[in-house]
Amino acid sequence: MRYGFAIDTKRCIGCHTCAVACRNENNLPKETWWNRILTKGGDAMDLPSGEYPNVSVSYLPVACQHCENPACVKVCPVGATYKDPETGIVRQDYDKCIGCRMCMAACPYTGVRSFNWEEPSYYTGVAFGDADIPAHEKHVVEKCTMCWHRQAKGEEPACVSTCPVRARHWGDFDDPDSEVSKLVRERAFERLLVEEGTDPSVYYLV
Amino acid sequence: MSENVAAVNTAKTPAPAKKGGGAGLNVAIIVSAVVVAIGIVLWVMQLSGGMVQTAMRNLDSWGLYITMFMFAVGLSAGGLIISSVPKAFGIKGFGGISKVAVMTSIAATVAAIGFVVVDLGQPLRVWELFAYSNLGSPLMWDIIVLMVYLILSCVYLWAQVGNEKGKVTHAALRVISVVALVCAVLVHSVTAWIFGLQQSHEMWHTALLAPWFVSSALVCGTGLVICAAVALRAAGYLQWEQENLVKLAKLLGAFVMVDLYFFGCDLLTEAFPAAGGMEVVNMLVSGPLAPFFWIEIIGCAVCAVICFTPALRTTPLVVVASLLAILGIFCKRVQLLVGGFQIANIDLPAVMTPFTITNWEGNMAQAYQGMVYWPTPLELGVALGVTALGFLIFFLGLKFLPLKPANQEK
Repeated sequence: MRYGFAIDTKRCIGCHTCAVACRNENNLPKETWWNRILTKGGDAMDLPSGEYPNVSVSYLPVACQHCENPACVKVCPVGATYKDPETGIVRQDYDKCIGCRMCMAACPYTGVRSFNWEEPSYYTGVAFGDADIPAHEKHVVEKCTMCWHRQAKGEEPACVSTCPVRARHWGDFDDPDSEVSKLVRERAFERLLVEEGTDPSVYYLV
Repeated sequence: MSENVAAVNTAKTPAPAKKGGGAGLNVAIIVSAVVVAIGIVLWVMQLSGGMVQTAMRNLDSWGLYITMFMFAVGLSAGGLIISSVPKAFGIKGFGGISKVAVMTSIAATVAAIGFVVVDLGQPLRVWELFAYSNLGSPLMWDIIVLMVYLILSCVYLWAQVGNEKGKVTHAALRVISVVALVCAVLVHSVTAWIFGLQQSHEMWHTALLAPWFVSSALVCGTGLVICAAVALRAAGYLQWEQENLVKLAKLLGAFVMVDLYFFGCDLLTEAFPAAGGMEVVNMLVSGPLAPFFWIEIIGCAVCAVICFTPALRTTPLVVVASLLAILGIFCKRVQLLVGGFQIANIDLPAVMTPFTITNWEGNMAQAYQGMVYWPTPLELGVALGVTALGFLIFFLGLKFLPLKPANQEK
């Protein structure tokens, strides 16, 4: 199996709902975002390029690309980041991570891995999110888990189920009948930094 | 380094050689031990209060520690290579500094390991490196080679002492020399591969990086041995003929030229297609890293001029040349490390938090305007502590080990 996402950039309105849902579901500590919505346009968030009235802007939701040939897995000295052979999901074992940040340097997708630079704390003052997620740890690297804990219960990732415009699709690319397989067959798509040879499992429909 | 310069200035009135090295050495040991202790306190602060106190962040996730790690690995080269090459190939050496030179290697290697340890978020989990080793990781290779290198340096020093006492045969010493030499080349190559095998950073991803690390290591390692030998001669610790200094200076000049040649090759290869690599060249020549680039280029050029002009090869100027070479290679390390993060693959505007990038308060473009990373005082303090650990090991070696040339022992 090769689980991944197909994200419809023509539908995405840059509302950040998926990013917030990810934070909420995974009890993300202060200042940490596993899923970020990049603005393709001007110099700052939500700023278009060009001059009125000829302006343009689009959005690119970016999190771990769950690559088929992940650069991070190869370089981890203790195997704390690894590829689940059954689902193709790139996972991170917090208890094993020694905090060397080799994976952060190796990953071509700038900023999808994040390090807990201090003891995790929460804006709410208490831990929130799903009961099944592992506790966050200080001084270790973490990233998108593709909502592993939800998949175990037969649910889709939180970012997919909350997207108000149904721009995010999730499924198995090895199954020709899956929704994502059909989408990438029917629609034009792009993948990020394919020249790096990582073979990412996130397809951006254009 | 400043104490080396001071030692040279007092060279005209050398103190008589004393048995343990005298009061000066004791002071040096105490001072470096105090700095090490301060460094340990700061390191504990870093671990308890969090690495948020460093300037490293998600988009520039390595900093001064890894820069200094590369630098220290390089410094460890000179000693071992200078003392093992003559023995391995059966040619005339560089006078009675062989053991002192190996001691600089040991000290620099210990410092290099120290820099990796202070960079770790979870240093108490280092045992996992041996329990769950991923032998495919270049970082794992480096840890193995660095350990072997340290042990080998110690064995090599022991074998030299044994050889002088007639306990270790010349043949055995020669075998150890060859093994040590191979290991020295490996340790620099593997350190380069930590960076050079990463396709995600255009600046790092080049096959030239491993040989280049070897040449850079030879430059700053030879510089370090010259500084140490001149300082010890000035302090009256050992006698060392000027002709050997000249020989080392010529060697330093040759190494510097090779290193500059590699730099030229790399710049040309990056720039010629006038495509993506141009960004790297601009960043170095006229961008945020230009000061480090030009200090390296000019420093190394001046060093070569001094080393190749017979009239300029006086002791003080050769020491200046050595210090310029060491400074130049340090600047090289800064360019490599910060440069790797200065050009991001994806720099589109997105949410910015204090964890995103060092200069997170503006937007993404502003964060990359100057140097993307600059260390905090805490990082500088910890790095100083680890550097002092290297000095401490070296001074302790001078005091307690028989590092003087055999014929100069009283």
